Amino acid sequence: MNWSLRLPFLSLSFSARAVAVGSCLLLLVKVGSVLALRLGSYPFTETSWLSVLLGAGSEIERMILMDHRLPRILTALGAGACFGLSGAMFQTMMRNPLASPDVIGFNAGASCGALIAIILTGGNVLLGALIGALLTAILVVSLAWKEGLPPQRLVLIGLGIGFALAALSDLLLSRTDARTAADMAEWLIGTLNARDWQDVTIVWSGVLLLAPALFWIHFPLARLGLSDDLSSSLGLRLSPLRLGLTGLGILLAALAVCTAGPLPFVAFAAGPIARALVPNGKPALLGAAVIGALLVLAADTASRMVPSIQLPAGVFTALIGGPVMIWLLMVQFRKGKL
Amino acid sequence: MNAPARLHAKALSVAFAKTPILKDLTADIPDGKITVIVGPNACGKSTLLRSLARLQKPDSGEVLLDGKSIHKQANRSVAQRLAILPQSPSAPEGLTVQDLVTRGRTPHQSALRQWSHQDAEAVGRALELTGMAPYANRPLEALSGGQRQRAWIAMALAQDTEILLLDEPTTYLDLPHQIELLSLIQSFNQQSNQTVAMVLHDINLAARFADHIIALRAGAIFTKGSPAEVVTRNNMEQVFDLRCQIISDPVHGTPHVIPE
Repeated sequence: MNWSLRLPFLSLSFSARAVAVGSCLLLLVKVGSVLALRLGSYPFTETSWLSVLLGAGSEIERMILMDHRLPRILTALGAGACFGLSGAMFQTMMRNPLASPDVIGFNAGASCGALIAIILTGGNVLLGALIGALLTAILVVSLAWKEGLPPQRLVLIGLGIGFALAALSDLLLSRTDARTAADMAEWLIGTLNARDWQDVTIVWSGVLLLAPALFWIHFPLARLGLSDDLSSSLGLRLSPLRLGLTGLGILLAALAVCTAGPLPFVAFAAGPIARALVPNGKPALLGAAVIGALLVLAADTASRMVPSIQLPAGVFTALIGGPVMIWLLMVQFRKGKL
Repeated sequence: MNAPARLHAKALSVAFAKTPILKDLTADIPDGKITVIVGPNACGKSTLLRSLARLQKPDSGEVLLDGKSIHKQANRSVAQRLAILPQSPSAPEGLTVQDLVTRGRTPHQSALRQWSHQDAEAVGRALELTGMAPYANRPLEALSGGQRQRAWIAMALAQDTEILLLDEPTTYLDLPHQIELLSLIQSFNQQSNQTVAMVLHDINLAARFADHIIALRAGAIFTKGSPAEVVTRNNMEQVFDLRCQIISDPVHGTPHVIPE
């Protein structure tokens, strides 16, 4: 069932199920964030966290909440949303769930670029990640191009380039001193350890800046799910549209990688999970954003809960994403798409 | 000669990997009529239709829509006047009939205006005309072949264009469903004067439903005209290499091919 919204400047139609599922997911985000705030080596009671947030409590309690947990949680949510959006955009554009930036090497490119930037300049992570992702995308697409972009070619070549870039990252690690290398190795798995308000600002201002473009591009993206011939005959201009989508997707992936590291499988799993919850053949960008945020929040909170050892959050997203990938591969095989 | 038709192919040549498919082909798609393009396999029928719909760029020559080259007009503006349903189209899994038909409104919509009253009206009308209203909330893959094809036609109708191109709309349908679908297309053409051009394999169905037939052979027009002019013993032998008798269809009076 569809609902209609009609204002003088805006008219939309959306499915009732999407609204219901979306509300539940947002509620989950809220509950999950509060839990993540309260849980940890210094737990807060059901009521105390709120009074500390509002200014009560001791200095140390305020520091734990305001300087450590809150920025970490907000970064996790923002980075997860970026991963989810980027993945769902590429998957819808390529009409193939395997074509997500973490599978086809874009995230590996972003993290490799970030590493090079750190080693060369000691900073500029965002710029490095962006350039790395962009160059990787150009390389993968130009190698996979054969009168269009056949999904199998894109996935296989992307996988290969991703492995090569991962090897390059390892090589870079072996060339730096042991301390930096240890930090970077953790970052390469994906971690939200010691995120501060600067990370929050980067990722969320990125999301807010890109939001209008995302709203605008959602309209043609939803039509791109039909074949090229059909979307073209409906009046879409495919080449500029694909270029815009790829640019936006890379920006989002780079934004996520530079604040949370190349967390594996989040971009890949968020879209298919969102589409399984609302199976109506639409890109489910918002759903993928919220699922991505939830996945990263859950992984990061889990990584904080394991006592004595600090496992990076990437270990947990891989634990969630691996089975999703196996499930999708099996579905794809059954449909004869691989 | 009458005023030029709104859709006109002028000296079209198309080649794939240096193999010529269409050779210097000039054709009018008469306004308000049903035109059927026929010819043997690999004669360039689909390529001609796709060129007319600007999905195939010609190597030389041009397609004129309302007097201007179709490739030089804004894609969206073309889409408001001309709809094409390609051969065996595909949709993302889970898409409902209602959402599919709404996709047809794309050239009249924008990101801010995704579901206007006109959209709702056009979608409702297309669903009614094709008899798909009862299935509006079903996902496409839950429908039978005939219903699915009607849903696609409904999408093309919702686009609300004066010209409708269809590439083998009856593929994979059994005979009753082929007749049902073509009768449906004929009724839109008669009610709203919509110009229809389609590729059909079955020469007898073409003879029955067409006002105008274009017969292609090896990338060029062999002959064109009314069914009675085109569907003759001599033409069938030349176009299809088919020896046959032509009788008058006892129900509709149109020519009917009986292969020998």
